[in-house]
Amino acid sequence: RRGLGVAAGPPSTRQLREVDGAAPVFQYAGKAAKRKDRVFVWGFSYSGALGVPGFVKPDASWKKPRRIQPTPYRLETEEKISSAACGYGFTLLASNTRDITKVWGMGLNKDSQLGFQRSRRDRTKGYEYVLEPSPIPLPLEKPQQTRVLQVSCGRAHSLVLTDSEGVFTMGNNSYGQCGRKVVEDEIYSESHLIHQLKEFDSRVVQVVCGQDHSLFRTKKGTVYACGWGADGQTGLGHYNITSVPTKLHGDIAGVNIIQVSSCGDGCLAVSDEGDVFGWGNSEYLQLASVTDTTQVNVPRHLPFKIGKVKEAACGGTGNAVLTEEGNVFVWGYGILGKGPNLTESAVPEMIPPSLFGWSNFSPDIRVAHVRCGLSQFAALTNRGELFVWGKNLRGCLGTGRMEDQYFPWRVTVPGEVVDVACGVDHMVSMVRSF
Amino acid sequence: LNALPGRAPRQSIRFLPTPAPDGSGAVELVATRVPVLADHPLVRGPRFRKLKIGAGHRLDVKASGVFVLGIGHGNKLLTDLYNCHLTKVYTVGGLFGKATDDFSDTGNLVEKTTFDHITREKLERILAVIQGTNQKALLMYSNIDMKTQEAYELAVEGLIRPMGKSPPIITAVRCLQFALPEFQLEIHCLHETQQYLRKMVHEIGLELKSSAVCTQVRRTRDGVFTVDDALPRMRWNLQSIQEAIRNCQLKVETELEKTL
Repeated sequence: RRGLGVAAGPPSTRQLREVDGAAPVFQYAGKAAKRKDRVFVWGFSYSGALGVPGFVKPDASWKKPRRIQPTPYRLETEEKISSAACGYGFTLLASNTRDITKVWGMGLNKDSQLGFQRSRRDRTKGYEYVLEPSPIPLPLEKPQQTRVLQVSCGRAHSLVLTDSEGVFTMGNNSYGQCGRKVVEDEIYSESHLIHQLKEFDSRVVQVVCGQDHSLFRTKKGTVYACGWGADGQTGLGHYNITSVPTKLHGDIAGVNIIQVSSCGDGCLAVSDEGDVFGWGNSEYLQLASVTDTTQVNVPRHLPFKIGKVKEAACGGTGNAVLTEEGNVFVWGYGILGKGPNLTESAVPEMIPPSLFGWSNFSPDIRVAHVRCGLSQFAALTNRGELFVWGKNLRGCLGTGRMEDQYFPWRVTVPGEVVDVACGVDHMVSMVRSF
Repeated sequence: LNALPGRAPRQSIRFLPTPAPDGSGAVELVATRVPVLADHPLVRGPRFRKLKIGAGHRLDVKASGVFVLGIGHGNKLLTDLYNCHLTKVYTVGGLFGKATDDFSDTGNLVEKTTFDHITREKLERILAVIQGTNQKALLMYSNIDMKTQEAYELAVEGLIRPMGKSPPIITAVRCLQFALPEFQLEIHCLHETQQYLRKMVHEIGLELKSSAVCTQVRRTRDGVFTVDDALPRMRWNLQSIQEAIRNCQLKVETELEKTL
């Protein structure tokens, strides 16, 4: 019994237990709580590529337009996004759903790279800038059965890969990158034309867009290309435009290719045995290990002795590969990720795993994926952490600072990063909440 | 300490008048070695009356573990050790399901929540994120220009550390034990307080959509001093203290030379 004159003192165990028993229990998350999938965007926002209209046209007068979003910002989407791609000032988001709307686009639409977006003010005109993720109508034969597997964006064109209806292309076709014949003086803005490509030797499993060319990888392991070829990036043996997807030969003839990558004017391909093949632009020493010429128009095997390669990422001036052991090797020109002194290298240099969080304390951290933007690199670890490095063009690295990053730096994302897509000045990541 | 044989009293040479050995009455001055009276133990008093003891990094009342003390001239080494900015290792025990106002289990209860949805993988994911953000803070507060080659090399070796004042930074976290509702973490940190660690446990609980309180904070390492060097209650006597000082001297010197 406490009288008025007795001091409180630290609560005894008995008092604690009494209070404990009487308190109500709150539940915030049940046992079956699922992890939500979210999309985070960051980078330059005035093109509308981030999909947040409040950054370009604020909804309240006291708010100022945000030119750059320096840290990851959550984007609300209606469906779970399974694939995303960043082009030059525009973004495509695709979902694996069976609903009618499967692909959303935002950003620049001056060449109809996001399809025809009907303007609400004038029904005959289309939007030049799309500020919000808007559905892209695809001319599917069976819209409630076909699923969209992957999307890819280039400078002014985009590719959508479906599971049973081939590849849909839209956007600029002045170099034949959409896979159809080049029409002289064609006006690409406000165009309703979406071309469908079905003639390949087997089902297409990966589509990749370079700056003005497109690459298609089929299930059999062959690679097709179309588009601009002045740097040899189509790999067809000539430097002209190709307007129909044509099969590549050279060193990859007969080789089962499991991954293709391209961002600027160069291309890299990885075979199932772990060999790397490259073609296209070599002005920045990307292919200097096999040739001295600056343009290579036939795929060449790159004899690197770094182990079995799992994934390759081809950037504008620098390339990165990921080996089976989880090490990242970089070469080329620019900020490669090994400090300000290494600006160019013709042979792959390994980035020390301690920069990705590996230490004696946590020795099982490994890099799981590498991605390239035009002058940035991104690496995902098996713990779901995102590391970026390279030129910080208009805040695209997402570190919160405007300076270039010379070695891998963590990006704080509230969740486990599953995939990331790099564009020229913005990035999109698919994240799973905790 | 005072019972130990002190140094012998100083001897000085004085010229003392002694009667001449031949008994003639003349007084001669002979030099003899005589103990100086001022040095006599009865005059001087006990050798040690006060001891200067300084404390190393603070340890809470509710926490336990290694606590470094400096005695006498060792206090100067204490400031040097502080400037080394070495990491400390704590074993922190927590309990899910409760939230209190001072984040420990003896505070006033604020809320009770369910915790059966928490698994070890979720906890480890949260710990990975904590480590990641603190790693960034480590690089940012170390005041090194990120654009230099030097910064890159230090980052590769993992030697970048803030060498000045900084908010608490956690360099590594690991889950030692996990048995709902209890869990135990090993935390390596810099410039922290024990209350910050308890707050960290509370925040981990919030992040896992539940709540947590801290039941135990124990410092297992403070720079170079580990639990093995520390003296338990039974051994707080003169001989053990002297032995411990002797054993640690070499370690402390090497560490100071390495860092400064």
